[in-house]
Amino acid sequence: MRIPRATLALLFFFAGTAVFFSVSAPRFATATNVENLMSGFSFVAILAMGQAFPILVRGIDLSIGAIVAVVGMVVFDLTLIFHVPGYLILPMALLTGILAGAVNGMLVVFLRLQPFIATLATLAAYRGLVYSISGRQLVEGLTTTAITDRWIVGIETYYDIGGWTGISQFMQMPWFPLSFFLMLGVFVVLQTVLLATRFGRDLRAVGGNHEAARLAGINTGGIVISAYATSGLCAAIAALIMVARFTTSTEALGTGMELTAIAAAVIGGVSFAGGIGSMFGPVVGAFLLGIVLLGLTLQGVEQFVQQIITGAILLAAVSYDRILVVRRRRRLAADLVAAS
Amino acid sequence: MTDSNETSNGRRDFLKGAALGTAAVAGAAGGLFAGIDPRTGNLAMPQARAQDMRYKMAFIQWQPHTVPAAWSKGIEDVLGPQQIVDYELLDGQNKVEVQASLMDTLINQGASVIFLQPIDSVALAPSIAKAKRSGISVITLNIDATEPHASHVEMNHYFGAMDIARVMGDAMGGQGKVAILNAPPGIIIRDQRTNGFVEGMAEHHPGIEIVADQVADWDRKKAQDVLNTILAANPDLKGVYGVNDSMALGAVDVAKEKGTIGDMVIFGNDGEVAALESIEAGELTGTQYTDVYQQGRLAAAAATVLATGGVPATAFAQQSHLLMPYIIATRDNVGSIQPAQRW
Repeated sequence: MRIPRATLALLFFFAGTAVFFSVSAPRFATATNVENLMSGFSFVAILAMGQAFPILVRGIDLSIGAIVAVVGMVVFDLTLIFHVPGYLILPMALLTGILAGAVNGMLVVFLRLQPFIATLATLAAYRGLVYSISGRQLVEGLTTTAITDRWIVGIETYYDIGGWTGISQFMQMPWFPLSFFLMLGVFVVLQTVLLATRFGRDLRAVGGNHEAARLAGINTGGIVISAYATSGLCAAIAALIMVARFTTSTEALGTGMELTAIAAAVIGGVSFAGGIGSMFGPVVGAFLLGIVLLGLTLQGVEQFVQQIITGAILLAAVSYDRILVVRRRRRLAADLVAAS
Repeated sequence: MTDSNETSNGRRDFLKGAALGTAAVAGAAGGLFAGIDPRTGNLAMPQARAQDMRYKMAFIQWQPHTVPAAWSKGIEDVLGPQQIVDYELLDGQNKVEVQASLMDTLINQGASVIFLQPIDSVALAPSIAKAKRSGISVITLNIDATEPHASHVEMNHYFGAMDIARVMGDAMGGQGKVAILNAPPGIIIRDQRTNGFVEGMAEHHPGIEIVADQVADWDRKKAQDVLNTILAANPDLKGVYGVNDSMALGAVDVAKEKGTIGDMVIFGNDGEVAALESIEAGELTGTQYTDVYQQGRLAAAAATVLATGGVPATAFAQQSHLLMPYIIATRDNVGSIQPAQRW
């Protein structure tokens, strides 16, 4: 199997950054920090994988932060107001995310809205919806009431894999959060869907050339709606992880998270030109952002500087993506000339 | 002469309150630890750390604002001269996940004490529990957490807002319409500052009608826009209560623009220097003033006792709780607030 050069470059940059902080940032190369990285950024990786789907079809989903909040508040209300059992809430939460994402897709497909505009509108609408259904406002006392349903809060569980396997006798091992394994599960499923199914092939075809895909008989509308629904599903999974972590939900949950997810996806090599990218890149991109933020915090670097550095990394990734797009076009043009 | 006496009394009351507050925190720090040795009278605590040890402390603020900036300065006033504490101010960026991640990082760094202005009382509770398990004491500022911790130091939101309603109603002659410029829902201090005001009005001035309660996002510019809309629907509005000073100053801007600055009664909450200067200029009618520097100093004093005394987070029988003293600052008494107390 041939590994793309962009992926190798990303891995090299990730490893280099990790080594740099291991040497320069106190307590960076510790089991506790790795545990913090996994628990703090697994849901970001899930959001980034979800975000990759709209980008793969030349779209964007600005509403995922608001979908996180909608799903979080649905879980909050169902648990604390209606006392619905957690095992029923979990599928309902996922369905809510899928539905919210599918609405985005339908706005893009049926109303032919620009994805940026459509999801900007739903960002505002979903956030407004959160305030209107907020159990924190509707029922007195819920602002200070924690969710205790074990099906929900059980997502925030840690496993002592080092202890079970005996590795902890030789080196200090982090405890692995369940959210990290959920992230791995999402990765395996979505990567398989993308690379080994007809849906994945059609999705990449629609992203590569929408008109050609339509003429080839692909249900382009369905594919686009499914891409946004997948993004919504991932937002729902991320919301469940966050609600479990915080034992509550807030109206502002997920604010600004769309930008982090987009940054992680683009850093991970998912091209705005459409049709190019895998699930591996967004995961690495999310954890790269994680180690940069944790490393700089441990170094005592001011947070506004961290934001500048994060922006610079994103800019570098977008520029690199642009260079690859231009190169691909030139190569294609040269091939066409040679063929004619 | 009478004015001068009142000012003097106000200042004395204020200083008395501040002194009592200091005593309360000292008492809280000293009296709430479990396990006093009945023979020696000493606290049954692990041996204090070596004197040459440096202590790591950090304050995780909600987001940049005049209030947490002043707390941080107050904290530095106490920690800086000791030269044994490495202190830093961290920004929660108005996101619970960022605050939780910063808590994790500080726990990893082995901080001695964490000052925290939680965005949400419940959401940060698991992080506080984790810090406690690692022996790290947490001191919350202004917003309490549902997980019991070392200490909580807060402004007196509810009763302060009741007093604002009383003084504001007096200034309005007990009659007229009032609008509230509010913070976004879902924040405890918003509810405390709103409920205190509404219930204070009902108790002291039932003739005053609260005709609008609109969100202006803590923001001066947004407050201008929101108040203009409210005034369009209620041109006979006589009073405005901003849940923080920034929004109240936004109302002052609108009143100046419309030439109603003398007629409109406008109150804020917090007591930042811009609000005090506006009161002195005869624009803002009043605000609830809290010495926020002192609030930070009190928190830092308690933190120093905990860290240098080697008091682990698990040594507390119960959480201490300190309500800061305050005054309702108006033109009559604003002069009693000394330059060093202005933030």
